[in-house]
Amino acid sequence: MPEQVKILVIDDEKMMREGCARILLRDGWTVLTAEDGHQGLEIIRRQPEEMDVILLDLMMPGMSGMEVLERVRDIDPNLLVIVITGYATVESAVEAMKKGAYDFTSKPFTPDQLRLGVKRALDKRLLQREADFLRRERERSLQDVATEKSKLKTIINCMEDGVLVCNSESCIVLTNPAFSRLLNVPESKLLGGISSECGLHSDLLTAIEKSLNIVDSGYTSISQELCIGNEGNLYLRANTAPVRSDNGEIIGSVTVLHDISYLKELDKMKSDFIAMVAHELRAPIATVEQQLNVILNKMAGETTEMQANLLSRAKERTRGVLDLIKDLLDLSKIETGKMVQYKEPIFLPDVINCVVERMSFEAATKKLSVQFLSTSSAPHINADRNSMEGIFTNLLSNAIKYTPEGGSIKVMLEDENSFVKVSVSDTGIGIKTEDISHIFDRFFRVKSSETRQIVGTGLGLSIVKSIVDAHFGSIMVKSAEGRGTTFTILFPKEAKSAECK
Amino acid sequence: MRKKILVVDDDPDLVEAASIILKAMKYEVSAAYGGIEGLEKARNEKPDLIVLDVMMPDKDGYTVCKELKADPELSGIPVLLLTAVVSHIPITRYTRQMGMETEADDFIDKPVEPQALVERIEALLAKQ
Repeated sequence: MPEQVKILVIDDEKMMREGCARILLRDGWTVLTAEDGHQGLEIIRRQPEEMDVILLDLMMPGMSGMEVLERVRDIDPNLLVIVITGYATVESAVEAMKKGAYDFTSKPFTPDQLRLGVKRALDKRLLQREADFLRRERERSLQDVATEKSKLKTIINCMEDGVLVCNSESCIVLTNPAFSRLLNVPESKLLGGISSECGLHSDLLTAIEKSLNIVDSGYTSISQELCIGNEGNLYLRANTAPVRSDNGEIIGSVTVLHDISYLKELDKMKSDFIAMVAHELRAPIATVEQQLNVILNKMAGETTEMQANLLSRAKERTRGVLDLIKDLLDLSKIETGKMVQYKEPIFLPDVINCVVERMSFEAATKKLSVQFLSTSSAPHINADRNSMEGIFTNLLSNAIKYTPEGGSIKVMLEDENSFVKVSVSDTGIGIKTEDISHIFDRFFRVKSSETRQIVGTGLGLSIVKSIVDAHFGSIMVKSAEGRGTTFTILFPKEAKSAECK
Repeated sequence: MRKKILVVDDDPDLVEAASIILKAMKYEVSAAYGGIEGLEKARNEKPDLIVLDVMMPDKDGYTVCKELKADPELSGIPVLLLTAVVSHIPITRYTRQMGMETEADDFIDKPVEPQALVERIEALLAKQ
């Protein structure tokens, strides 16, 4: 009930008006009075919302109570009118009730009778207001839902990423124009169809199926790259994730497609550019080194010791540049997928032995001991031999570079379930904790007084990681500053390793 | 009698450097600065061995090698390919990596250590 209850008494008799007012004021209600129909209607019109109950005398000179009642109903049919009948005529009361009066009371009445009648009317008014409030609330929230829905639909339709939502039966329930544009399937064909019957990419269908059948309750999304179109010029990243209900049950799946063709193209341009520049740089520098070789070997005449010294340092510099170029070429080869494409069953100890032997001279000049131990029963993996040599050459060369004279390097080959585990440990200067997360980054080199003198391109470990990745392996590093570093690589064993000895 | 070696490379500086090395090792050296010229000189001069660069603008080393090996008069001349790839890998593997059948007898990557070049050449000539 609003703060202030307002009751209007319309009666031509002053006695009645004042009597009613007195009785009702006692309950703390506000009482307004009018001495005829016109005045009463005037008051009601001014504030129909605020009026709670109207006490209306039926027998009045001028406008009759019946007419006033009709007009009140016109203003607001919800207004509660209690008619007062001067003479106890049931007929007029019945007629008033038919015309919409809420109740009637006949003169003479006791204050309690009046109060009771008004109270009942007020209760009714309260219920009416509450119902009104609830109805408005409901309308508003329905409208909110509708607005929210339309807002979401607009957002989804405006997105440049493709969206596809399936229910648990793989039936497509929502999609957007970007989705049909990216996959070149008309939207009308998608909506309402079963996803497997809409000519979608098979990898996408597999992901949707998978996401609908995920068993564990954690958040899982399937991310994959799709190549669309015959020319293979459209690359999409597709993320598919299950939609769960409150109780964790999978009720559908959402797939979002993002066009990454431009990134792919840029990446390829970058790789091509690097390859082109590297080749162009390599030729002249190789020639310069060739010329230096000739002079250093005194084939172009005698050289003084000082000249030879200068020239051999010049050769060291060209060698450094050639190594960098080789690393860049390896990297661009890996990126274009050309590096690791000749996988064959290989026997890892052979590769490692070969690399250890090749590096032994370098190690010996620094008085480092290099040990190779294998406890693996079947160290066969399916790999690219050249890349494998690259990995161990890089790791061993790092170990040699960063281990002070007299230290030791150990290469271990062990079995670990279905993996072959190779570790390369040294007793070198180690890597700072804050640097460890960066050592596989391209061009990253640890900067310290100890490493300043060491030549390197900052590409070696990044290449190692790329090669390990391309062989579905993993690489980890553990290091203690000043004590040494261990690189550990896991390779999945060749399935038929027993046969390929 | 001194053995004659034909050096084919489009980079004159490299040809010069290789020639100096070979001459120092008492070989007779002939030079060609492209694939087409190399084939021509091989036909005219019938060298004992050919050092052949791979990347040449007019006719690459693989094609030149193929034509040499297809010619019955020249097919017996050992060919040492000069490449830009990593060494330490056997010729069969290199062949497969390039995805083509090169009939070259050996290969060596640039820049060449004089000692290594001479060793490879001596080994190839000894096979004859």
